[in-house]
Amino acid sequence: MINLLFFGRLGDCALDVDKSIFYQDDLATPLDVRDWLAKAHGDLGKALSEPQVLVSVNKRVVKWDHPLADNDELAFLPPVTGG
Amino acid sequence: MSLNDDDFMRYSRHLLMDDIGEVGQEKLTQAKVLIVGLGGLGCPVALYLAAAGVGQIDLCDPDRVDKTNLQRQVLYRTEDCGELKVACAKDRLHALNSGITINVLAREVDVDILSGPSLTEAYTAIVDCTDNLAARQLINKTCYEQRIPLISAAAVGWEGQLVAFDFRRYRQLCFSCIIDYKSTEPMMNCSNFGVVGPVLGVMGSLQSITVMRMLLGFFEQHGELQRYDGKRGQWLTMQCASDTSCSICGPTDR
Ligand SMILES: [Zn+2]
Repeated sequence: MINLLFFGRLGDCALDVDKSIFYQDDLATPLDVRDWLAKAHGDLGKALSEPQVLVSVNKRVVKWDHPLADNDELAFLPPVTGG
Repeated sequence: MSLNDDDFMRYSRHLLMDDIGEVGQEKLTQAKVLIVGLGGLGCPVALYLAAAGVGQIDLCDPDRVDKTNLQRQVLYRTEDCGELKVACAKDRLHALNSGITINVLAREVDVDILSGPSLTEAYTAIVDCTDNLAARQLINKTCYEQRIPLISAAAVGWEGQLVAFDFRRYRQLCFSCIIDYKSTEPMMNCSNFGVVGPVLGVMGSLQSITVMRMLLGFFEQHGELQRYDGKRGQWLTMQCASDTSCSICGPTDR
């Protein structure tokens, strides 16, 4: 399984999203997962495609092409830039 | 410069602490800290650092107080509207602690400002309380090049972010490794999306304690990213990795 975490306001766009998904070959990277989520959840897909959205795997910030492994925790973090 | 009688009273709650004490208070007294941005983050940062006795605090912000700032920028009062933020801030901070030096820089941040309080001297630490990516990237670049500790925070809506870099000790991993230099601004910032005042208080307080840790020699979390979600009361702490293709800290001379 891949456990999904939508941090902060991304959680508001992901209320009806299953937070654990089966680990499979065609969901090999955070980018794959994002594209897959976007098919069923348009608003979430849009929010995840904003510039400066960060992804972390097991509490480490990674690139969108980072290889996922079974039992990973994949977190998406919305941009925070104001002050 | 050593502590006088008034200082012993004023900073007694620091002096009572074994891991601050007179030696630590002297480190704070000798520090010269630049705060870039005197908005929602900069206000609590400036208040706490002034109260703590940081010896010189330079304030950089070109803006004037606006009524819409008062919901979260806790240094300013209704009658300040239209006045320069840095001038109002200096008055308030001096009323709090007249024993420290406060300088105002009422213009956009640039390399000259970041390069130090004088030609021969660098800042002990720089606090990034700005609201835009271009300024954040310029601050990061200058701090990296000049080996100045950088404490950067941001907030929007219910959410805050903190990340700090001790460029005195570490030459890999900088702000640009995390947020790409070329990336564009997201749709929302504090002026068009809104922000909850205390979120800025939380993040600004965290920034000021990180500055103190940096000055006192307790900081070990170079490039660790902290996120706060005030709506759900959640924190997330993550480690970041250096990007070998980073245009700031990537391997050009290695
Ligand atoms: Zn870098």
